[in-house]
Amino acid sequence: MSRRLVIEGQLERADFALQLALDIELSSPVGLMGATGAGKTTLLRVIAGLEPSFRGRITFCDEVWSDTGDASARFVPPHQRGVGVAFQDSRLLPARTVRGNLLFAMRRAREGGLTVTFEDVVQGLYLANLLDQPTESLSGGERQRVALARALLFKPRFLLLDEPLSANDTERRLTMLAQLDTWFSSEPIPVLYVSHAQEELRRLTQQLIIMEQGAVRSRGATEALLNGVTDVDGESSDHSVDEEAIVLVAGGDQLSVVLQRAAGTALAEQPDLAPGDRVLIRRVPPDISGRDFTLQPQSDKDESETD
Amino acid sequence: MTGDVQAIWLTGLLALVTTLLLMPLATPLAWWLARSPSRAKSAIEAVVAMPLVLPPTVLGFYLLVILNPDTFLGGLWVSATGEALTFSFAGLVIASMIYSLPFMVQPLHSAFRAVPESVMEAAATLGASPRDRFFNVGIPLARRGFLTGAVLTFAHTVGEFGVVLMMGGNIPGETRVLSIAIYEHVETLNYDAAHSLALGLLCFAFLSLWLVYRFAGERVEVIRG
Repeated sequence: MSRRLVIEGQLERADFALQLALDIELSSPVGLMGATGAGKTTLLRVIAGLEPSFRGRITFCDEVWSDTGDASARFVPPHQRGVGVAFQDSRLLPARTVRGNLLFAMRRAREGGLTVTFEDVVQGLYLANLLDQPTESLSGGERQRVALARALLFKPRFLLLDEPLSANDTERRLTMLAQLDTWFSSEPIPVLYVSHAQEELRRLTQQLIIMEQGAVRSRGATEALLNGVTDVDGESSDHSVDEEAIVLVAGGDQLSVVLQRAAGTALAEQPDLAPGDRVLIRRVPPDISGRDFTLQPQSDKDESETD
Repeated sequence: MTGDVQAIWLTGLLALVTTLLLMPLATPLAWWLARSPSRAKSAIEAVVAMPLVLPPTVLGFYLLVILNPDTFLGGLWVSATGEALTFSFAGLVIASMIYSLPFMVQPLHSAFRAVPESVMEAAATLGASPRDRFFNVGIPLARRGFLTGAVLTFAHTVGEFGVVLMMGGNIPGETRVLSIAIYEHVETLNYDAAHSLALGLLCFAFLSLWLVYRFAGERVEVIRG
């Protein structure tokens, strides 16, 4: 059985269009990045079966999930796809405790798939003290951890993670990242991992897809693609200068700084800058860069993206 | 006074049976109204809400016409049970269910509408079928709607008068409910007896609405109670 996901088709919205022709080999986790509004979340929704207006064809491991062709129309509803999703905005079931949310997933878990146990997940994602709390009382980071745990405990055939750790502090994020890495490498389950954080993508994924304006802009090995992302120019003027920016956050994850630019925020690798520094940023050639993506706030609150 | 005790008992029984039968019927209807994109929705909503604006006598009159033993429906009931639907307790139950339908459907409708689509989607990706989502996500989140709907339906049925008078008459132990008993006490100038029943109903109405506002914690639209 080939472990691949093939998507061909488009999704039209009033203010947004997704145009896809993707053939992804899923034997190792795949990273997905791109600016806010590039269509990352929408792509995950299409794969999960939550966008019935998608026109085209989706096959997963030789199984047709969606086909809008006249002769062979077919649509597998979300609950039959066995796709586990950790939504960016968590989407925990209200009026249930954390344990209730995890049990909801476990009772509907599939045969096979991941074999992580309740105990593994509770320990690895720091949920032990939260189990009996109602979901309404959780912070953004805690909600994300529950959403991730819930997706894992469903034992999915395919795991879609939409910035699953972005609201957690750096230290915890790195520990959980290592934990995820262990789980995913001990039993290679297909994973699609959306993130703005380069160290997460480097750690977890070997392949990377960069999206822009509803389409795939570039894809390749994660390491190679991310090494192209160096686009801050401190002083020198012998490059073509695009615009001026101010450093908002520095030292957050050692490698990167967040920049405030006229048209939003951007992320760049330049460790020796301090908040408030003025820099000039340069646009790098599109074929190798993953630049110009916004960084989700690393604070403890949910930030929903509208792509 | 035994006649009044009987009327109280009968009223309570009528309201209880009506509430219990109406709840399982109104729940899927309210769910459909809340989630279906169908265009027929407005028409169905209008039909459900009609008892709110129709004079109860109109409703009672049509039920009398439709359910009397000479009609097809009424005849069917007679051949099945040997009794007529009009001027009987069973007929009152059917009439009350129609009369109180909006009081059960509307709170459930708004409760179901408040269930976020995002949560339903999350449940779907966790393997929950539409039926599973209805029972294990929708219904648990609509608990307040169920409480509100049940209390309002019960209270509204207790307060029913016009419909009962039209198609139930005033048969002790069968159709003589509280409001009819009060009416008769007034007709026979027995104001003391009317007073004690009326005051009882007043307190009951206050208590049930207080219960709704206190525990259901949401504003309820009572257009006519």
